[in-house]
Amino acid sequence: MASQEPSINLYTTQTPNGIKISITLEELGIPYNVHKIDISKNTQKEPWFLAINPNGRIPALTDTFTDGQTINLFESGSIMQYLVARYDPDYKISYPAGTREWYEMNNWLFFQNAGVGPMQGQANHFTRYAPERIEYGVNRYQNETRRLYGVLDKHLSENNIPYLTGQKCTIADLSHWGWIASAGWADIDIDEFPTLKAWEERLAARLGVEKGRHVPDPHRIKETLKDKAKMEEHAAESRKWVQAGMKADAKK
Amino acid sequence: MSPDSNIMLYTEGTPNGLKISIALEELGLNYNVRAIKLFEHEQKEQWFLDINPNGRIPALVDTDKHGQALKIWESGAILQYLVARYDADHKISYAYDTKEHWEVTSWLMWQMGGVGPMQGQANHFALSAGADYPYALNRYVNETRRLYRTMDTALAANPSGYLVGDRVTIADIAVWPWVTAYKYSGLSTIDEFPHVKAWMYKLLARPGFEKGRNVPTPHIYLKLVDMPEEELKKIGRERSGWIHEAMKRDAKA
Repeated sequence: MASQEPSINLYTTQTPNGIKISITLEELGIPYNVHKIDISKNTQKEPWFLAINPNGRIPALTDTFTDGQTINLFESGSIMQYLVARYDPDYKISYPAGTREWYEMNNWLFFQNAGVGPMQGQANHFTRYAPERIEYGVNRYQNETRRLYGVLDKHLSENNIPYLTGQKCTIADLSHWGWIASAGWADIDIDEFPTLKAWEERLAARLGVEKGRHVPDPHRIKETLKDKAKMEEHAAESRKWVQAGMKADAKK
Repeated sequence: MSPDSNIMLYTEGTPNGLKISIALEELGLNYNVRAIKLFEHEQKEQWFLDINPNGRIPALVDTDKHGQALKIWESGAILQYLVARYDADHKISYAYDTKEHWEVTSWLMWQMGGVGPMQGQANHFALSAGADYPYALNRYVNETRRLYRTMDTALAANPSGYLVGDRVTIADIAVWPWVTAYKYSGLSTIDEFPHVKAWMYKLLARPGFEKGRNVPTPHIYLKLVDMPEEELKKIGRERSGWIHEAMKRDAKA
């Protein structure tokens, strides 16, 4: 039997936002093509990529839509909502649109996209990528990240639920996982949030998470965090292109 | 309390709060407003955390068809909820799971994950940090400018002058209150983004935007546009005490 070329193209890199999508696709068990984007070389700012995502960031995804034409999607939250709307008829990792559980799922999905991601991202920046240590920035963003982790931890423990919306793992949980798994990169100690830590390990044990996290490259953050030399090496590499990107944007 | 509405909006006149009152006005819905006293940290009181565990505005409580309370929080989630439930005529949306719906969703998420958080940090370092941190201010002002450039390019390519398709949508509504606050965020002008500027004034002329932007109190941001720098800084200092108190409390927690 001839194998059919997958209709889904995922443009991604090994970051917490990129792996959200490969994890979602693996959880859904659907085929997809992977295009590794080297963000240290600014591939994501090239015209062909901007035609897919005008914001010039990963992840981005294309698919063949119901009209037979290509649909372009950008922003990880939008991509995740799209994938479950089209490819989760049995509601394995979602709920039917318009139900109260669906609304609750979206509360937490937006909480991740608008809060956890951006704020932990800034904590990462001031902890690892700024050219010098700016204590005010480090404290502001590490404390906000801790506050957000506290919200998650309290929600899970007070309601005594294994996942954010209750008994089922959904895109709300999958959206958070890569970020929580890399807490140490922002110098956040996950042991301060025991229920959240247990949630992280529960998700890590899922087949879809295990497969999806190693796309397009091995997910090594937990090993890196155990090795101070590796951490500094990784931070120094990233700092170079992060600072170059900031300088380029400042000139425009 | 409006007798023909179960919608209670917990809000203040911040860019995120205004998104919801504008959407409600554009939809012509009746709704009740409870202004939350941010300066007194009312949003961290337990009764409010029972509605939004994240302790931030906006939050919205409605009832479902069985009469049970529905709690929606995060402005993006609220916008999606309102159009899913109340916009059958697609005045400010497109039908669920159409191509345009997904385009709106992508831009909505772009605002939620980008413009809001990054311009919010620009606000902070421009007027609320209590000291000068030029590295941080430049980082966030330049990222805000990059985001506005992205939007300017997209608007230039759409003859309707809206972000998506032929109508104003929740994507436009999500971005608009932030753009009106540009002066508060370290941007002295938005002339370098002519399509964004034109779009801002085009939407300002809509009755729904005019009504919604003045909830719960008159819209302050556009008044800052012609304000001298010193006066702007003074306003920033006056409005920032509660932020530093909140940061202290979070640091100790």
